[in-house]
Amino acid sequence: MAMQRQILKRTADGARAKLSFYGCASFSTVPSSKAAAAVTPPQLPPFDYQPKPYNGPLADEIFEKRKKFLGPSLFYHFQKPLNIVEGKMQYLFDESGKRYLDAFAGIVTVSCGHCHPDILNAVFEQSKLLQHTTTIYLHHAIAEYAEALASKMPGNLKVVYFVNSGSEANELAMMMARLHTGNLSMISLRNAYHGGSANTIGLTALRTWKYPIPEGEIHHVMNPDPYRGIFGSDGAAYARDVQEHIDYGTSGNVAGFIAETVQGVGGAVELAPGYLKHVYDIVHKAGGVCIADEVQSGFGRMGSHYWGFETQGVIPDIVTMAKGIGNGLPLGAVVTTPEIASALTQRIQFNTFGGNPVCSAAGLAVLKVLDKEKRQVHCANVGAHLLGRLRSLQQRYDLIGDVRGRGLMIGVEFVTDRKEKTPAKAETNVLFEKMRELGVLVGKGGMHANIFRIKPPMCFSKDDADFLADALDHALTKL
Amino acid sequence: MSGLLKGRTRVVSSGIESLRWCWRRRCLSQLAQDEAENDFASKMPPFDYSPPPYTGPSADEILAKRKQYLSPAVFHLYSKPLNIVAGKRQYLFDENGRRYLDGFAGIAVVGCGHAHPDVVQAIVDQLNRVQHSTVMYLNHAITDFAEALAAKMPGNLKVIFFTNSGTEANELAMMMTRLYTGSNDIISLRNGYHGNGSATMGATAMCTWKYNVAQSGIQHALNPDPYRGEFGSDGKRYAKDVEELIQYGTSGRIAGFFSEAIQGVGGIVELAPGYLPVAYDIVRKAGGLCVADEIQSGYARTGSHFWAFESHGVIPDIVTMAKGIGNGIPLGAVITTPEIAQVLVSRAYYNTYGGNPLCTAAGLAVLKVIEKEKLQENAFVVGSYMKERLAALKEKFELIGDVRGRGLILGVELVTDRKLKTPAGKEIVHIMNQMKELGVLIGKGGHHGNVFRITPPLCFTKEDADFLVDAMDYTISKM
Repeated sequence: MAMQRQILKRTADGARAKLSFYGCASFSTVPSSKAAAAVTPPQLPPFDYQPKPYNGPLADEIFEKRKKFLGPSLFYHFQKPLNIVEGKMQYLFDESGKRYLDAFAGIVTVSCGHCHPDILNAVFEQSKLLQHTTTIYLHHAIAEYAEALASKMPGNLKVVYFVNSGSEANELAMMMARLHTGNLSMISLRNAYHGGSANTIGLTALRTWKYPIPEGEIHHVMNPDPYRGIFGSDGAAYARDVQEHIDYGTSGNVAGFIAETVQGVGGAVELAPGYLKHVYDIVHKAGGVCIADEVQSGFGRMGSHYWGFETQGVIPDIVTMAKGIGNGLPLGAVVTTPEIASALTQRIQFNTFGGNPVCSAAGLAVLKVLDKEKRQVHCANVGAHLLGRLRSLQQRYDLIGDVRGRGLMIGVEFVTDRKEKTPAKAETNVLFEKMRELGVLVGKGGMHANIFRIKPPMCFSKDDADFLADALDHALTKL
Repeated sequence: MSGLLKGRTRVVSSGIESLRWCWRRRCLSQLAQDEAENDFASKMPPFDYSPPPYTGPSADEILAKRKQYLSPAVFHLYSKPLNIVAGKRQYLFDENGRRYLDGFAGIAVVGCGHAHPDVVQAIVDQLNRVQHSTVMYLNHAITDFAEALAAKMPGNLKVIFFTNSGTEANELAMMMTRLYTGSNDIISLRNGYHGNGSATMGATAMCTWKYNVAQSGIQHALNPDPYRGEFGSDGKRYAKDVEELIQYGTSGRIAGFFSEAIQGVGGIVELAPGYLPVAYDIVRKAGGLCVADEIQSGYARTGSHFWAFESHGVIPDIVTMAKGIGNGIPLGAVITTPEIAQVLVSRAYYNTYGGNPLCTAAGLAVLKVIEKEKLQENAFVVGSYMKERLAALKEKFELIGDVRGRGLILGVELVTDRKLKTPAGKEIVHIMNQMKELGVLIGKGGHHGNVFRITPPLCFTKEDADFLVDAMDYTISKM
C-alpha cells in the first residue's frame, strides 16, 4: 500500500482531536491515489472472543464516585476516562464491548495476558483450598515457587523474600544493603523510579513523584541516557560521575547502588552500554552492594535475556521484582545471596501477606506459562519487528526524536525539534488520545511526558505490532 | 537452622530467646503427645467437610526448601512445624487431613473464614473479567468497594487510598501527616507495631522488629498498658507523657500520633480507658493528626464496634487497615478526610496494584459477608463468652496473669509470678505445642513472647470456644 509522505513542521494547536473515528470500524473507500493507508484507519487484528455483557455502572458514574471516594490525587488517562470492564490476553474491553489493543499491560504488569487460563486456574484452585495462613505454618506453594524463581537467577542469587509490591521489594533491598554493609549512602540514577514509600521516594529521582519528606542519604547520579545524556552512549564516561559522588559526597563507603536496566516511568530509557559493569566495580570497591530493579524489565520481556541486568553483562547482589511477576496479582520479590540475607537474621522481618499460597501459586504459574509459551523469544521477535516498523516511522516523521528499547520494552520519544530535542508534550497528548480512539492503549512517561511507553502483555503478536505502528502512522498524519 | 545464631554475642530480648529455644529443641516428646491425646475428653466440634487428599510435598521436604530458598530469618511456629494444606471456615487441615481449630486466622487476617464461598466466588467472577488494569482506567470494582467502605466510617472519613499491605498503608499515612502539617515528628506508643518499611519501622516500638538502620523523626510514648503500665487502667495519667514528649522532644508542633486501639503484635494490649481522648486532644493542640491503626483490631473483630477506636470514643483523622479487609488477599487501605487527602495532589502518588479489580471485588465480598452473617455480633457474643471462660481459667491457674481484649481479639498473659509478672516464656511455648497436638492453633505475642493471641476467624462458635479453652485448661493442668 502506498503511504503518503508527510513532514510535520507545525506544532499542534492543542485543540482536542475530534472523535471522528471510533475504534476499528471500517470506512468508506478513499481514492487510492491519496495515501490510502494513512487516511483509512487501520483495523484491529481479528480476535475470536466476545466479551461478557456488562450491566454495571457506566464511566460517568464511576468517575464521580472516584472523585468522591478515592481522592483528588488519583490520576487517570485520557480526557474522557475509559471504563475497562474485561480483558483477554492482549486485549481490553470497555463498557460498550469495544475492543482495544493493550500496549501497556496495566503498566508492564500483565505479563502472560489478561485472564490467562493457566493463571486463572492456579488462582482458582488455590483459593478454593487455602488463601492465607502466613509462613508461621508450612505450605508447599511458597517453597516451590521460591525454588523455581531462584533457578532463574545467575550466580549465588538464591534466597527469596516475598513481598506485595515493587515499593516493598525496594524498601527491603535498601535495608539489606545498609545492614549488610554497615554504610548509609545509597546511590540511584536521575530519572529513576523505585517506589512511592518513605525510603523508595528517596531513591526515585523524578520530581513529579517526590513529596517533600526527609529522605536520608541518597545520591542521584548522572543518568547514562543515550538520547539525552551529555556522553551519548559512552557508559564509562557516565560511570565516572558515580566515582565522584562517592569521593566527594560520601564517607567513601556506600551502602549500595540501585538501577533499572531500562527506566520505566522515566520513559523507556535503556542505560548506555557498558555502564553497569563500570559502576558495579566502583560500588563494590566502595564497600557497597549492587541492586538491580527488575520490576519492569524482568521475566523475558527484554527478549535477548530473561533479566534486564543480563543485557549489561553483570550479576547484581540483590534483585527486586514485581509487576509482571504475578500477571497482576499483588506480589513482589527480593532475591539475594545467602551472605546478604544473613544480615536480616539479627531481628525479625515478617511480611503478613508475602508469599501467601494464592500469590505463590499464581507466581509459579506465570513462570511456567512464560517458559511454555516461549515468551522471551517471542518478545525478541515481535519486539524487533515493532522496533523496525517504528524506526521507519521515525524516518518519515520529524516529530519522532528517538525509538528505543528491546524486546517488548519500547519507547518512542516525541520532540518538536530534533536538534534541541524539545519535548513535544502537547503533541504527545494529542497522539495519546488519538491512539485510544483508534483502539490502541499505550502508556506515557518521561519527565516531560513526551514518551510513549509500549510494553504490552507478552502474548502481543506481529499483527498487533503492525496494527500499533499503522495506528501511530495514521495518528501522525492527522496531527 | 542451628547455624543461625552462631557468632552472635548480642543479648536479645527474652521474647526472641523463647522463640528460638522452641525452634532448636523438641519441647514435646512423642510420649507426652500420646498421653495428651488419650486423656483429653473434649472433642472438636463436628464439621462436615473434608479437603481433597493431599499429594504434594511433605513437611520435611518443604522445610528443607524453605531453608534453602527463603530468608534464613523466616521462622515457623512449633517445634514440629505444621504443614497446612487446606482451610475451611474456622478450621485448617494438615497434610494428613487432620483438622485443627484455627484460633489465629493467619494472624487475624482470615476474618470471614478460610475459603469462604462468597469471597472465592467474587474472586472467580472478577478473575474471569479483568484482574488488573490499574487506576489509569476506570473500573467499578474499586469504586463499589470504596463506597461501601466509606459508609462504615464515622465523621468525614471518606477518601480512600488502596495499598497492598498494612505496612504500605501506614507508610502512606505517615507521609500524609508530615505533608499535611509541615512538621516531621511523629509519636507512637511503646509496644506498638505498625510495619516494617523504613518509616513504619520507626513507628514500630519493640526492639525485636527494629533493625539497626536510620529511623528518624519518631518519639515513643509511655504505653497505656492496664496490666504492666505504672498507672494501671488510668488512661488520663499516661497521656501526660505525650505532652512532655512534644514539649521537650519536638519543636512543639508535630505531624501525628499513631496507635493501635488494641496492640496486636504487642500482646493484645487494650489501651487503658480514657487515654485516647486525652492524647488526641494534646496531639491536635500541637497541630498533629491522629491516626488509628486498625489493621488488626478493626473490621468487626472487637464485636462491640466495627472499628476498635470507636470503643474509645474518638474519631481519628486517618484510619489504616489491612489484614481482615480481604480475608487474606493482599490489600490495605488508608481512609481520611477530603481535606487531608488534598495533600497528595502536589505530586503524584501511585500504587500499581493498589485497588485492582480482583482485590477490591474480594474486599466488597468480605464486607457483605460480615453483614450477611452478622459476624460482628458473633464476635461479640462468642468473644465475650470465651473471655469469661478464660477468666475462669485465670482463677484456676496462677500461671495466667491476665486475660484481656474484647470480641475475638483476646490475649492471655502467662507469668511465673503474679506479683512480679515475670513472663513465662518457656511455659507458653510448651502449652502452645501441646494445644497444637490437641488440635488447637493459636498465636503468641508480646515483647516477652508470653502472651497468647487468640484472633480466630469471626465465624468462630461457642463450641469452638469451649474446645479451645478446654484444651488450654487440660494442658495447663497437666503441667
